[in-house]
Amino acid sequence: MAPDAHDYLLPGRVTLEDAGELLGGRLELREGETRSAERRFYDTFDGLVRAAGVEASWEAGRLSLTGAGSASGAGSGEVLAAAELAEPPGRLLAHELPPGPLRDRLKPVIDVRALLPLVHLESEVRELGVVNAEDKLVVRLALERPAVITRSGRRIALRPRVRLFGVRGYDEELAEVRDALDDDLGLPRAEHTVLDEAVLRAGGVLGGVSSKIDVDLSAGERSDVAAAAVLGRLVEVIEANLPGTIADVDAEFLHDFRVAVRRSRALQRELKRVFPPAQLAFHRGELRWLQQVSGPARDLDVYVLDFDEFRASVPEQFQADLDPLLAVLRGRRLTARREMVRELRSDRARDAITSWGTFLARLESLPEEDRPDAARPIAEVAGERISKVYRGMVRMGRAIDASTPPEAYHELRKKGKELRYLLELLGAPLFPGEVVKPMVRSLKSLQDVLGRHQDREVQVATLCSLAEEVSALPGGAAALMAMGLLVDRLLIDERAARGEFAATFHEFAGREQRKLVKETFS
Amino acid sequence: MTRVLATYNIKGGVGKTSAAVNLSYLAARGGARTLLWDLDPQGASTYLFRIRPKVRGGGRRLIRLKTRPEDSIKGTDYLGLDLLPADFSYRHMDLALGGSKRPTNRLARVLAPLYKHYEYIFLDCPPSISLVSESVFEAADALLVPIIPATLSSRTFEQLEELVAGGPQVLAFFSMVEVRKSLHREVMAQLRARHVTMLGAAIPSADEVERMGVDRSVVAEIAPGGRAALSYEALWWDVKRRLDAAGVRDGVRSSAAGGSSA
Repeated sequence: MAPDAHDYLLPGRVTLEDAGELLGGRLELREGETRSAERRFYDTFDGLVRAAGVEASWEAGRLSLTGAGSASGAGSGEVLAAAELAEPPGRLLAHELPPGPLRDRLKPVIDVRALLPLVHLESEVRELGVVNAEDKLVVRLALERPAVITRSGRRIALRPRVRLFGVRGYDEELAEVRDALDDDLGLPRAEHTVLDEAVLRAGGVLGGVSSKIDVDLSAGERSDVAAAAVLGRLVEVIEANLPGTIADVDAEFLHDFRVAVRRSRALQRELKRVFPPAQLAFHRGELRWLQQVSGPARDLDVYVLDFDEFRASVPEQFQADLDPLLAVLRGRRLTARREMVRELRSDRARDAITSWGTFLARLESLPEEDRPDAARPIAEVAGERISKVYRGMVRMGRAIDASTPPEAYHELRKKGKELRYLLELLGAPLFPGEVVKPMVRSLKSLQDVLGRHQDREVQVATLCSLAEEVSALPGGAAALMAMGLLVDRLLIDERAARGEFAATFHEFAGREQRKLVKETFS
Repeated sequence: MTRVLATYNIKGGVGKTSAAVNLSYLAARGGARTLLWDLDPQGASTYLFRIRPKVRGGGRRLIRLKTRPEDSIKGTDYLGLDLLPADFSYRHMDLALGGSKRPTNRLARVLAPLYKHYEYIFLDCPPSISLVSESVFEAADALLVPIIPATLSSRTFEQLEELVAGGPQVLAFFSMVEVRKSLHREVMAQLRARHVTMLGAAIPSADEVERMGVDRSVVAEIAPGGRAALSYEALWWDVKRRLDAAGVRDGVRSSAAGGSSA
């Protein structure tokens, strides 16, 4: 992230005293505190804190969220919220913070992701203020000599810098100070914020590890090459999320792991003619197995994460009665996780992922006689598949009416996922955005309705299956009563979703949309 | 959750501005995002923070929601503490309020967009009983009332409690106390015995409080560890404790958030 042009580099060997004199020759300064600062910075695995234009750091018993640049809407460096925290946390979820402003500010930024230690910085800091004719402070300056402390305890000195922090309502004065540093003193602007520089010098990646799949494809490239590129990136995502899944750092690791596996499986099916059938069958089986062994743990993660919504859906006087249900779900989640972790740590899991990656890397060099789509242009193959799956969905959806059993909705939803992955992974880089984006939007609306319908159906079945176990716990009878109310609400919502199906399906499968799909993809 | 606290007294020269400035400073120093709105056209708080007494478009447009308070807010020298400055046009604020619909919820509506940015909003009020003060009563969770321990103090206190009955919490504290004066000691003892909402901490009449106008700073910087600085810290601790015990007034936020802009 650009440091909002507020950081300037000082010559490497300059002392903070000399630097102060240098600036004092040009600016009216007020002396502040000189101190040693030890800060530990945090971010989520995928860099949500940095993406929000803020910084999370622990210093001297306090965890703070600070504006890192103009994106936060606050003056740079301004503390937006803070909370007392005696020790620097090893891993922190928003709901583990005490209620208060920091939790309120952090929750929308990181949601269910955990804050993890990012970098440990020790600095010598001399604070100065630029003042106006009224002796009012109008710009804050910090002369900083920072050093990164690596995980092994090694100290890496970074180049000293002048950091500028604007004071609200004094933008003109900030611009004048910047002009003075740029033009009069000729100080070079820092390319990175001190945090970003520290992350880079410690060997980290700016912005964290993304699970996004943004592979550039060209319409005319061989389908097997394109498939290997997209699927290879999915292997990276699977591998990146596996350690956090096993360690239960936060629920998103398992979620992202499973989405990447599911997307891979969708492309295995849809692009099957670019692969040799026998080898593909083996890898499909292995990814299916990864999906199966991680399914129950993810389902229970969702129950526990969404429990507050469940609770809120029953009348207030019954909400606390659901505690035994939560206890059972948590217990089952731990059991499911133990079983999943055992499988994911196995040689089979490791081989399933690495052998698939190795296979993709040499796919292009394999004989082509049993891979009829291998050398065809990817836009042609992807267009055919998108068109075919879309037509299939239109057929399936048209057959649904008020008397249709739930299985038909479920099948349509599965098909919808297939289409969504095709559109996101191949449609977006190969076809016009003005067609793909609205199509994904209308598909998402349809999938939301189908998903709600399916989820409610499954949730009702799950609650019924847990009834006996819940009833055996203290407070079990009251919990069963509350679960009855919950089941009732879920069934009402399932019916509501059914009612919404026709309208959302019409939007997805209307004449104009069908024509557009035909023209674009066929 | 934002708390709106107004330093208020019908009388002038009792230590309202000193309390607003020092308590808002302490709130910010404690890590809470804090705003002080200097509602007094004399602009003493604004002067103490060395900020120009000017709001964009003037007080009338601000009150009528034609301009955004955010555009006039200035950062003070203290991290986490911002000021919405005074403006000389505030002397006509009663007229501006009088000409608007539901004048008494106007200040609350001006403040509504700021709730998400600040944990504490202090209102430094001019001394009067007027539409401005009624609007303050509707916006505030609590009135912080400095009282000089003199013969008519008890009467002032009782009048005020009657005036705001059903409104904000009234948290009165002794100000400009001279413990050597037996009259001050007697009045303090009487009032403390009679009023449960009388705060324990008392602000002494001290040089460092008077020096605020000369040094244009807070007592914690003029005389750190001095009697006045410690008294304000004790007072802030007591205020927070009472606020936590009382919760936020129902309806203040919702009535401010609702309604169309004029």
